[in-house]
Amino acid sequence: MISRVADHCFWLGRYLERAESTARVLGVTRNLALDVGLNPRHVWLPVIIVSGEQARYVASGQGRPDDGERVQDYMTWDEENPSSIARSLSAARDNARSIREVVSLETWEALNALYLWMGSPRARVEWREDRHAFYRRIRTSMQSLQGIVRGTMLFDDAMHFMLLGNMLERAGQTARILDVHHHAFQALGTHEVIETALWLALLRACSGFEPFMKVHRGRVSPAAVARFLVVDPIFPRSVRFSLRAAVSRFERLRPPEQDDLPGARSAARLTALASWVAALDKDFDVAGLHELLTHVVDETAAIAGVIGTELLGYAEGPAAEMSAQ
Amino acid sequence: MDPATPLLSDYAGLPGTWDELFTSTGAPRPAFRRAIDALDAHSRAGFAVCQGLAERALLDQGVTFSVYSDQRGTEKIFPFCLVPRIVSAADWATLERGLLQRVRALELFLADLYADQHILKDGTLPTDLVLASKSWFPQLQGVRPVGGVRIHIAGIDLVRDPKGTWRVLEDNLRTPSGVSYVLENRILSKRVIPDVLDAARVEPVDAYPGRLAESLRSVSPVDPDETSAVVLTPGPYNSAYFEHSFLARTMGLELVQAADLFTEGDRVFCRTTRGPRPVHVIYRRIDETYLDPEVFRPDSLLGVPGIMRAWAKGNVALANAPGNGVADDKAVYPFVPDIVRYYLSEEPLLAQLDTWVCAREEDRRFVVDHLGELVVKAVDEAGGYGMLMGPQATKAQIDEFRQRVLAEPRKYIAQRRLELSTCPTWVEAKGTVEPRRVDLRPYILNGRDGPWVLPGGLTRVALTEGSYVVNSSQGGGSKDTWVQKPEAA
Repeated sequence: MISRVADHCFWLGRYLERAESTARVLGVTRNLALDVGLNPRHVWLPVIIVSGEQARYVASGQGRPDDGERVQDYMTWDEENPSSIARSLSAARDNARSIREVVSLETWEALNALYLWMGSPRARVEWREDRHAFYRRIRTSMQSLQGIVRGTMLFDDAMHFMLLGNMLERAGQTARILDVHHHAFQALGTHEVIETALWLALLRACSGFEPFMKVHRGRVSPAAVARFLVVDPIFPRSVRFSLRAAVSRFERLRPPEQDDLPGARSAARLTALASWVAALDKDFDVAGLHELLTHVVDETAAIAGVIGTELLGYAEGPAAEMSAQ
Repeated sequence: MDPATPLLSDYAGLPGTWDELFTSTGAPRPAFRRAIDALDAHSRAGFAVCQGLAERALLDQGVTFSVYSDQRGTEKIFPFCLVPRIVSAADWATLERGLLQRVRALELFLADLYADQHILKDGTLPTDLVLASKSWFPQLQGVRPVGGVRIHIAGIDLVRDPKGTWRVLEDNLRTPSGVSYVLENRILSKRVIPDVLDAARVEPVDAYPGRLAESLRSVSPVDPDETSAVVLTPGPYNSAYFEHSFLARTMGLELVQAADLFTEGDRVFCRTTRGPRPVHVIYRRIDETYLDPEVFRPDSLLGVPGIMRAWAKGNVALANAPGNGVADDKAVYPFVPDIVRYYLSEEPLLAQLDTWVCAREEDRRFVVDHLGELVVKAVDEAGGYGMLMGPQATKAQIDEFRQRVLAEPRKYIAQRRLELSTCPTWVEAKGTVEPRRVDLRPYILNGRDGPWVLPGGLTRVALTEGSYVVNSSQGGGSKDTWVQKPEAA
């Protein structure tokens, strides 16, 4: 398929995932802040850090990280913030609008309706009056969008690129959420009950609460949660699962036996990362968690860059990595 | 006004003006009786709800055009009036024959102009006037496009005079737009007023994308089944982007931008994730002067270098062919009846407007003395720009146009202002229908097997009371156009 079109598909997939992820994190963090009597700073600062937006947030002078309302406002509505829900939605729509002949009519209409709603006074009212419902709406809308995509579009290269973007973004998001919370909890040095509540909140942020409980039958420990989010083979938001899904999408786009097709470097790096994460299952060490997650975050970003130059028509070099954003 | 009143109960046309649905005595035209009764079964309040539903649907579906007011591009819906414009089967049959004739003649005219120019050499048309067109490209002379077609898609704008005679207002032979609204408007009619549509017995319009894809493939340099055809757009910030993506989507073709294409060895390729792929037919929705910087604008960064060489060699079909503008030039328009007679030895079936060509001295003298009664149009402008509406103009505007005409006579033509026909039109502010002026743009497709007319077309309506300008850039909207099926024998 046309490289530029593939690029829009890839970023459409990423932004759909990002909007959902941000809504989920905000909703869960808000619950957490209500549940445990922690310093708001320890609750809300990680949200900004997860998105990689700390520097910009501080520079924006919008407020202190201990002001939950400010953080939520910034992460929901700020159009300059590439991780905000509003920006992710309008970026997803811009990408879809550039390839309307590629996305199905149903996909476009659902995404457009959500985008229009987000810009309407009704969204502000819901945000003010029922925050929980607001985040849930974004989350479930994005999930049904992903369902509409799978239910109405051909499973051709366009779909594979969307899901590749989807899965790479998801692997990165899960790794980031885990890393930042893990850090914050350690710094906290608080007692067990609160820590358990925090880890449960983390699971919820990744839609992993019920799946975790099914696998671990109610026994919660930091190591078990971290391990679950990184290497569980059947939990759809684990880093391992997301990367494996990304690899299988990539292999549809570029079958390994057709090694004359462009994309050799991307294939090698993506496969290497997925295998490396899968191998961690053997002796998972929670002590090295930060280094591990940092590697995942950096490597997923780098792989997106290589895919960009090999398949999506970006110029060589790091500056071009964010082309279709 | 009482919102429970039937929609059309006290509708009255304008004096001295043809109305599409009602006779001058205010009676429904007999052919449309059933449809008008069905419309009138709606109360004003009920119709207001339907109209609101239709507008909401347009926005939700993103049926919008971009306005260049800021960098991101604001999107607006093209205003839509749910009251249909209906054309009787008999009227349509006449129009269809006339449109086919006109397109065939213009096709032959272009082929001749870019070859031996018989029509100029034997003095039938004035050489100076024709070749002075801004859209005449001497560098394209001698090129015979692959498939032998130049006007793959034509949009011929028609108006109706007070006697009900259809007249051609202008020809659009470059990249006529608007057909996506024809199809979208029909979807709205079906959704919101199915009862009325059913009563009217209307020809469907949804065959258009399939027919277009077929006629594009028919001119391919390779086997139609092996053909890779694409739609070329300037991108999402172009005002007609919705239509470009609509057509690509409904034809199942890829939508490309110039940067996606490149040429090698006088062939066109597309950059894909699996490397270069040949392209055989390009439905281009970008202006020809931006097609190829090697030929038209060396300073331009847009376009696909080398694409014109590929076209000249017959390795790619471009629809429409570059250079067509000379045949829809407003200064050539007055000669189209002569063109029809010259190439087809037939009398033209479609009337047009009496036109003064300012390049001719005699005409020019008349025009400058009668500017207050005339509509003056710049030959190379569209969209209702560069125009003087004499009867509504101030003295200063008239004086200014007199200077312009005298300075650049080739650039102007003049016509009498025609009392364009009206059609009942929903007026939101008043909650009722009133007469508003309309035109009609039917679409004609032309492939290897000859032309075909889409039974329908874009009816544009001047939504402002008293206005004669139907262009979307000047407060115009659109209506669904219902061509009635012939009565079963």
